[in-house]
Amino acid sequence: MILDIKNLHAKIGDKEILKGLNLSLEKGKVHAIMGPNGAGKSTLSKAIVGHYDVEITAGDISYKGKSLLELSPEERALEGIFMSFQNPVEVPGVNNAYFLRTALNAKRIHDGKEELNAAQFLRLMREHLTALGMKPDMVSRSLNEGFSGGEKKRNEILQMLILEPDVIILDEIDSGLDIDALKAVSEGINQMKDEKRSFLVITHYSRILDYLKPDYIHVLKDGKILKTAGVDLVEKLESEGYDWIKDEL
Amino acid sequence: MRLINLTQLSAIELDECRNKHPKHALIEKVQTLGLPTRKSEAYRYVEVEPLLRETYEYAEFAPKPIVYGEKIIIEDGYVTTAPKGIRVYYSDFDDVNMNHYDPLYFLGHLLSPKVIMIEIDGDSDIELLHRFTKSNTLISYRIVIKNQTNRHASIYEYFESKNAQNSLILYGYDIMVTQDSTLGIIKNQTINDNAYNMVASHNVKVGKQASMMLKTFDFGDSSALQLLNIELDTHAMVDTGHLLYLLGHAKRGTVSKIVHKGEHTHSTQEAKNILDDGARGIFDALIKVEQSAKYTKTRQNSKAILLGEGSFMVAKPQLEIYIDELEASHGSTTGQLNNNQLFYLQSRGISKIEARKMLIIAFANTLIETIRDGRQQEKIQKSFEEAFYKKDLS
Repeated sequence: MILDIKNLHAKIGDKEILKGLNLSLEKGKVHAIMGPNGAGKSTLSKAIVGHYDVEITAGDISYKGKSLLELSPEERALEGIFMSFQNPVEVPGVNNAYFLRTALNAKRIHDGKEELNAAQFLRLMREHLTALGMKPDMVSRSLNEGFSGGEKKRNEILQMLILEPDVIILDEIDSGLDIDALKAVSEGINQMKDEKRSFLVITHYSRILDYLKPDYIHVLKDGKILKTAGVDLVEKLESEGYDWIKDEL
Repeated sequence: MRLINLTQLSAIELDECRNKHPKHALIEKVQTLGLPTRKSEAYRYVEVEPLLRETYEYAEFAPKPIVYGEKIIIEDGYVTTAPKGIRVYYSDFDDVNMNHYDPLYFLGHLLSPKVIMIEIDGDSDIELLHRFTKSNTLISYRIVIKNQTNRHASIYEYFESKNAQNSLILYGYDIMVTQDSTLGIIKNQTINDNAYNMVASHNVKVGKQASMMLKTFDFGDSSALQLLNIELDTHAMVDTGHLLYLLGHAKRGTVSKIVHKGEHTHSTQEAKNILDDGARGIFDALIKVEQSAKYTKTRQNSKAILLGEGSFMVAKPQLEIYIDELEASHGSTTGQLNNNQLFYLQSRGISKIEARKMLIIAFANTLIETIRDGRQQEKIQKSFEEAFYKKDLS
């Protein structure tokens, strides 16, 4: 188990969103989370990465056997947790390449490796840009500023490929993507799959799951995981929605 | 050298000025408007009164010969160096804008028997260094800039000082941007440790189809004020920007009035303010669109980031409009760093301290990057980072 969430209660403002959530991510597996709007999917991902908005009121998240809750967002990232944002924020004035090199070198220092110089980093970045079908000017543009929805999502995947995290949370990575972009993004994700790494894919649609082939489907509703099953569950959710799960329980 | 106290300028002394220069109307203006106090609209957010109450040393007008050099150097109010190809000389000046709102604009003219005339004949990039070397001294000088039609020129202004503590600098431009020309003035000023005090009062007329860019980069822990009066003729445009990075108890900023007089005029005014410690930023900016200025486009905006518990922003963007046929917008925001941006950077493993630095530099960069000349942009970037990294953000 790489990430283990036990009895997690969390609120945003005064509203309790997660109400005793349990979830375990296995090494080398792809876990998908599906659920209706407002179920708590994004709050779960924010709780894992330590977003300021989320207050954990009970429970624990352990990662590689240690609690995450005492770690700052950057410490969690350095330990190998990565979230692809649903709506990546625009940061005018921060150069995309400079930002990513700063992030990569922070991680390399943390891992006891040598920093990459500008030339080494640009070579690495350009290789990934080409593989993702991204324009070369992504190197010089400001971080996410003026990017289309597809460009923003590809930029998230670019960061993931370069930072090589161990737990990857993809929060609605498929929203707003056309077929070509979805394919490119999925290929980028699949390229990262190995026996040490885990994925947590949050989505409303089966489309991306056709590409990513998850090992487990978890249904999150009313702040809890109500059901976990294999990929066959997706078809039933698509055709019948979520209400039957509560009836089944 | 003699001593001068501006609050005690008697009618006799002003008469002396008049005897030397037949500027009776200027004397009347100074007397009518009075010297600024804390109640004066344009000066209410800076403490100018104590500066004016000081007694300063004051030298009679005594210019030195001008020698050739790479840049224009003005030392303690006198030109010492000028490059070949640029005509720099002293002259009488009788085109003072009698509608200017700033009494120190008129006083500056009264105290400057001759103006420094800079005539730019062709397309040029000029560096202008202001150097101050005298302490406890009133240094007053006016600069007049004239360019030629269909020509494009930029002036990059820098400031340096040595032993100029407690001096008061009253300087400013009178600029006529000639029809169909473009002129840029980029001011890069860092004042630390109360090296000197400055009031810069400018008057700009932008002619038909002409374009003016005026960008000010203002850093440090000392106080100063910039006052602008800009008038736009038909199809003229002006682009102004002011970046402040202030520390300590500095009070600095822009007070301005941009008047759209002709049709199809265009103005943009942007202030970016980064205020730490107990610093105060000022953006008191009026845009007036007269009845004759149909189809005007105007936009003004001030953004401030408050880093210090005692830091404070005075943001007063104002529009005064007398027509319906225009596009106008104005606004201001004052707050802390954007938490979503901060979190995004942290979520990639960048420490909070480093993320804060990146966002502050990024905020400044959005204005610094409007300077197209790469070398000059780098110089301004360097000035900003020197001021910024002096402060330990941790």
